[in-house]
Amino acid sequence: MFSRRTRILLGVLVVASLTFVILDLRGGEGPFASVRNAGSNVLGGLERVAATVFSPITGAGSWWSTMRDQAGQIQTLTRENELLRGQLQTLETDRSRAAALDGLLRVAGVGQYRFVPAEVIAIGPAQDFSWTISIDAGRNDGIEPDMSVINGAGLVGRVLKTTADTSTVVLVVDQGSSVGGRIAGTGEIGIVSGTGRQDELEFELLDPLADVRVGDALVTFGSKGGRPYAPGLPIGEVVEVRGTGGQLTRIARVRPYADMSRISVVGVVTKPPRIDPRDSVLPASEGIDVIPSPAPLGGDVEGDVTVPDVALPDATVAPEEETAAVPVEEPVP
Amino acid sequence: VIWRQAIIIGTFVLAAVLIEVTLLSRLGIPGATPDLVVVTVVAIALTMGPVQGAVSGFVAGVLLDLAPPGDTLIGVNALVYVGIGFVAGVAVDPRDRTIPVMMGMVGLSTGAAVLLIAGLDTMLGSDRVDWEQIPVLTLTSALYGVILAPLVILAMRAVVRKATPEVAVGV
Repeated sequence: MFSRRTRILLGVLVVASLTFVILDLRGGEGPFASVRNAGSNVLGGLERVAATVFSPITGAGSWWSTMRDQAGQIQTLTRENELLRGQLQTLETDRSRAAALDGLLRVAGVGQYRFVPAEVIAIGPAQDFSWTISIDAGRNDGIEPDMSVINGAGLVGRVLKTTADTSTVVLVVDQGSSVGGRIAGTGEIGIVSGTGRQDELEFELLDPLADVRVGDALVTFGSKGGRPYAPGLPIGEVVEVRGTGGQLTRIARVRPYADMSRISVVGVVTKPPRIDPRDSVLPASEGIDVIPSPAPLGGDVEGDVTVPDVALPDATVAPEEETAAVPVEEPVP
Repeated sequence: VIWRQAIIIGTFVLAAVLIEVTLLSRLGIPGATPDLVVVTVVAIALTMGPVQGAVSGFVAGVLLDLAPPGDTLIGVNALVYVGIGFVAGVAVDPRDRTIPVMMGMVGLSTGAAVLLIAGLDTMLGSDRVDWEQIPVLTLTSALYGVILAPLVILAMRAVVRKATPEVAVGV
C-alpha cells in the first residue's frame, strides 16, 4: 500500500525507538548514557535561554503590578491595602494550618499515636463518586496501605494505595468504607459506614436494644495491629437515631468530626498506641467523661513536684494538713 | 526539498519542545499540559505528509525525553509520536483538509497520545501512571490540542508553502 521507501523508513524509526527503550530499561553506564547526558545538557541550555525569553509571560503578574504602580497615589494606597489584606489572608491560612497541625498533635499526643504529617495535594473529581484524596507522603515516608489517616478533629480515612511520594486515601464517608465503631462511655459497638455524602455516616449497632442517644460520641473500635483502623480515634457524633427497639438493628446518623470538604493537613498513623486510648482522644467540648491519658498526667505530676519545691519555706504545714485530711475522708463510706 | 523540509521539521519541533516544557507546563493550566509537541507533529503530517509526520514524531519524542525535566524511558514518546505522525498523515484525505477536520484530527491525536503513553509506560513497568487521572488528562489534552491546532497548522502551512511550494499538500 505504501512505497518501499516509506515502509523501510517507518520500520527504521520504530526499531530505533524500541532500541532506545530497551537501552534505557537496561540502564547503567555506557556510550548510550553519555550521549543521553550530552543531549540533555544541550537541551537544558536551550531551555534556560527559552525560559529567559518567556520570562515576561511567566512573570506577567509582577509586570502588571508595576504598571499599576504608576497610576497615582490613590492606586498605590489601594494596592497597599490589598496587599495588607492579602497578607492578612495568608496569615489566616498560616494560622489555620498551624491550628490544623496543633489539632493533629493533640490527637496524637493524647492518644500516643505515631504519625506522619502530610498535606492534601489532590482531591478526586466529584463525578466519579468516590471520596478519595491524594496526600504528599508515600512509601518513602514510611506509609503503607491500610494505615489510618486522621486530622485534628478525628478520623479522616485510611490509606488505599501508595506511590513513592504520594498516597491515596479513602475517606470514611466513601460509600465503600466501613469502620468498626464504639460509643464512648457505654461501649456499644457497631459498624460505621459511609453514605457518599460528606457530612453523614451511618452507624449500625450490633445490639438492637442498645442505648444510643443524640450527642453520643463514636470512636474507632480498632483492628488487629491497628490496620486498617487504629483504636480510639474519634469518628463523629450521633445526630439522629432511627429505628425503634422492635427492629432487628438500630441505625444512627453520625456527623463526622472531621470536615471532609475542608481537609488540608492530615496525619497518617504509622504506629498505633500500645494501649487502647479508649475515649481520651475525644474533643473536650463533648459532654463525655474524658479520661486523662498517661502523657498529660505525667506532665502534671512533674509540675506539681516543682511547685512545692519552690513554695516549701512558706507552706510546709498547709500541704501536710491537706494530705492528712485525705486518708481521714476515705474510710468514711 | 528534503533539506528544506528537514530544516522546517527540526526548527518547529525543537521550538515546540522548548515552549512546552518551559512555558506551557508552567502556566498552571488545569488538567493536562497543552501538548504543543503533538499538535506540531500532526500539523507537519497534515501539511507535508505521513512520512514527514513520522520522522518529526520520532525527533520530537526523543527531544522531549531528553529535555531535562522528563525522566521517563527514552523512546516511549518517540514510538507513540511516530505512530501518531504517520497515522495523522494517512488518515485525513488531502482533499478534505479543512480547518475543522484538522482540528478534530489534532484533538484525537493529543487525546490518544495521553492514553498510548500511559499504556506503554504501564506495560513497561512504570508505577507512576495514575489511571484515575487519565480520563481528565485525555479530555483536557484533546481540548487544548483543538485550541492550539489552528494556530500551529496555519503557521506551518504558511511556512511550508513559502519554503517548499513544489511539494505542499492540502488546501
